[in-house]
Amino acid sequence: MDELKNIAPELSKLEKVNPFRTPDQYFDDFSARLQMRIEAEKQTVVPQKNRFIQFLKPALGLAASFALIFLLVYVPLKTFMPGQENTVAEVTETEDLNLMNVIEHLDESSFISLLNGSDYNTDFTEEDLTLYVSANFNDYEIFENLDN
Amino acid sequence: MPETDQKIIADLKDAGKRDLAFHVLVKTYQERLYWHIRKMAMNHDDADDILQNTFMKVWRSIDSFREESSLYTWLYRIATNESITFLNSKKKKNLMSLNEDNEYLMDNLMSDPYFDGDEIQIKLQKAILRLPEKQRIVFNLRYYEEMKYEEMAKVLETSVGALKASFHHAAKKVEKYIRNTD
Repeated sequence: MDELKNIAPELSKLEKVNPFRTPDQYFDDFSARLQMRIEAEKQTVVPQKNRFIQFLKPALGLAASFALIFLLVYVPLKTFMPGQENTVAEVTETEDLNLMNVIEHLDESSFISLLNGSDYNTDFTEEDLTLYVSANFNDYEIFENLDN
Repeated sequence: MPETDQKIIADLKDAGKRDLAFHVLVKTYQERLYWHIRKMAMNHDDADDILQNTFMKVWRSIDSFREESSLYTWLYRIATNESITFLNSKKKKNLMSLNEDNEYLMDNLMSDPYFDGDEIQIKLQKAILRLPEKQRIVFNLRYYEEMKYEEMAKVLETSVGALKASFHHAAKKVEKYIRNTD
């Protein structure tokens, strides 16, 4: 190697030997050891997912998103406003019970009067009565009732 | 590209022949790559790990191999990069700076039961280990493997001129160390 003789004459005089060696049979066994490593790597590769799951994956993803949104809205609403709905229910229930209680303690005539409600009015004058009688009854009917 | 390499590449890209073709590739190149790696790592155990990493990378990257370079060049490039990566990670684990690599590699060499060098060979290895990483790679490829500069340029992705300069500086430094050290 003329190049080396010119640059480094002392180095070029050295006998070029390989001072390194390998364990016995190293190169005979290497290929088999490497093959074992490759096989191990092949087995650790994630297997291909079921095609059915792959097909459903977009729909499942969409459903999961809706469920998540529902939970994110519904749970806080239920947590932070729990009293409103129950109060309405309780008030309605109490009013019904009171009404039933009142009705059960009424006699028949009072119940009928209660049903007639605002139509039943006892505050009428003598003049109103005269007008009502003269408008609805003739003289003979009035005379006959007076006799009874 | 040699005909055998072309056949290996064609078979590697055929799923049915891949395993056998890879076995042929390993058998063809394992020794050459081992000695290239060994001169960088110095120690057999590290060289064995790096050689396995190299072939694993080749196995995973077969599909990305473009036949712009030869198989031989591609394999050497992967082996060189894997060696550098492995040694840097070892140095990090041992909390050594990247400039202390010659001490780490010298310890690696002296503790290796598979090193049979005599006094002059130890001296030569010490001189080589004092070189910067790139010069050391260039020196080993040229001195031991007698690789042509054109091929080396493809492996290391550097110009021929830069490689010649690197070898020149490296050889001068090694010569100086051998002359001046007892």
